[in-house]
Amino acid sequence: MGLNPVEYRPWNGQRNRQARRFLVVAESIFHHDLRSKWFLAVLIIGTFLAFALNIYLVSSSPHESLTPELMAGQMQNALFYIFLVILVSIVCSDLLSEDLRSNSFVLYFSRALKPEGYLLGKLTGAFITLAIFGLFPSLILAMAVTATQSGSDYLASAEVMLETVVAGLWVTFFFIPIALLISSLTARRTYAAVGTFMVLFVPGIISGLFVQFDHNWRLLDPSSVLAMSMDVIYGLGLPAEVDAWLFYAAIFAFIIPPLTLVYWRIQRKGVGK
Amino acid sequence: MTGAMTASTRTASEELGDNPICASDVVVRFGATAALDHFSVDVPRGVVGLLGPNGAGKSTFIKAVLGLLDAESGRISVEGLDPSSDKMAIRDLVGYMPEHDCLIEAMTGVELVSYMGQISGMAKQDSIPRSHEVLDFVGLNEQRYRPISTYSTGMKQRIKLAQAIVHDPKIIFLDEPTSGMDPQGREEMLDLIGRIAATDKSILLSSHILNDVEMVCKNVIIVSNGKAVTQGGIESLLSQGTERKRVVLRGQPDAFARFMGMLSSEHEVLSVSEEFKQYTVVFVNTKESTSVFELAHQFGVQLRSYLPDRFDLEDVFIDALKGAC
Ligand SMILES: Nc1ncnc2c1ncn2[C@@H]1O[C@H](COP(=O)(O)OP(=O)(O)OP(=O)(O)O)[C@@H](O)[C@H]1O
Ligand SMILES: [Mg+2]
Repeated sequence: MGLNPVEYRPWNGQRNRQARRFLVVAESIFHHDLRSKWFLAVLIIGTFLAFALNIYLVSSSPHESLTPELMAGQMQNALFYIFLVILVSIVCSDLLSEDLRSNSFVLYFSRALKPEGYLLGKLTGAFITLAIFGLFPSLILAMAVTATQSGSDYLASAEVMLETVVAGLWVTFFFIPIALLISSLTARRTYAAVGTFMVLFVPGIISGLFVQFDHNWRLLDPSSVLAMSMDVIYGLGLPAEVDAWLFYAAIFAFIIPPLTLVYWRIQRKGVGK
Repeated sequence: MTGAMTASTRTASEELGDNPICASDVVVRFGATAALDHFSVDVPRGVVGLLGPNGAGKSTFIKAVLGLLDAESGRISVEGLDPSSDKMAIRDLVGYMPEHDCLIEAMTGVELVSYMGQISGMAKQDSIPRSHEVLDFVGLNEQRYRPISTYSTGMKQRIKLAQAIVHDPKIIFLDEPTSGMDPQGREEMLDLIGRIAATDKSILLSSHILNDVEMVCKNVIIVSNGKAVTQGGIESLLSQGTERKRVVLRGQPDAFARFMGMLSSEHEVLSVSEEFKQYTVVFVNTKESTSVFELAHQFGVQLRSYLPDRFDLEDVFIDALKGAC
């Protein structure tokens, strides 16, 4: 191979603050996904099927103003969930599994980046990437409906728009902790992708079998819980047959234990175990 | 509490002179095995070799200094900072080339080096030109645009070195940098280390290969069973042997026996061996060489050669390991 006759040159630039370095991890994920053919293909098809047609239909049919029912219905659309779950599986599957396989944790943790910074970077990267599908199309829909409304109550529409921002952020975030957990359990990204897809879909089938005995079985399914939380965000209230405490417990269970487990896995890797 | 501890480590390291890394009585355990067992060293500036057989605790020491492993007891100081409380500050001062595979294979060489530079706090617009600079330095040319998964072992070692120096750290830890490389690659790697050292860096080079350490290091620490058994300048460790002489003699067995009786009464004899009626004697001679020639003449044995006994790093190494056992 041979060496070039160059001497080692020192570098005397400024370094960024340590607390901001998680953004480097996030940015790298975002750029990586925007160059991934699979991600782009699913994103385009999903946006077209779950939004484009609706945006056209809803805004061209007569309407007084933007209503919470309309937006909640859009955010509970089955096609939207299917594509969201596929995108989550694509984006999150390699986030930790690849680092596990290549053992690159040591490159991160021998630098001034804490395990929490690393995890925050991965979360933020996945979040920003998924927001392209989870947040923006529904905001565009809401804006299109408001722009074409026949009534004059723009305040009500603005309120729904604000709720849509919250709903979009929540939808974008909701599946990420579970997906990160699956990604931290295997060193193969395909296993992680298929695993995430299964974990987000299979509970729906199981809960479907038992829901005739008790409606609370629906809380086993992350997608149903997410759909119900849309009703809560848009101020429509939970279905009467579902227990509110169990509902909040389910949300907690889908977010906090997975993140804790992931953090624990990363922490252990960080200390060279 | 933390502040007081840092202050006291600072004074301690000042007392010990200007050494970048000091450790005293460090214990690191994995379950029942003590990977570091009351490990104490003062690592001076310049290139220092951390030499020891497999499983001696070299990598464990580096990880403990980086704060990747917590010491059960004992104290470590890196430029006056304590890894248990100032981990992040230490990590901004150092560069680390790990022993095992750790590269993100989906990235290209230049992407990885620039990414790691940014995680070390470089701005993107600084890290990209700097990455090209260090890749030129380590000798990765067009290959830098290929995914790392296509690299040979030697190229991976170069990328590992590049990511360790991209942010221009003051202290560099190289854990077996030549492992898996062919003789030419190995020489080039050592050459690179020498060039980095020429710019006032402190480099700790772990290796079990004596030649590597001998080629680039001024100082060496010999590690065995989790302890630092010998440390010092290579020159001074090797010069311990300048008074050792090796003589080859021929003669009748009884004459030789009488000669040996006289020799051992005046000098410390280290070894005697016989092969085809030819005797080889290693002894310590602090006096004039002529006295030995006269002695041989007096007892009627023929002195065929008289040479200083070559004491190389291998002997130091083996002696140190024997001493440790
Ligand atoms: N993660 C671990 N779990 C259990 N034991 C470990 C672990 N890492 C190291 N050890 C043990 O600690 C001891 C020192 O290991 P270390 O890796 O520091 O040796 P080394 O000097 O770097 O050896 P080598 O030249 O083979 O790299 C060994 O007995 C090893 O088995
Ligand atoms: Mg090692």
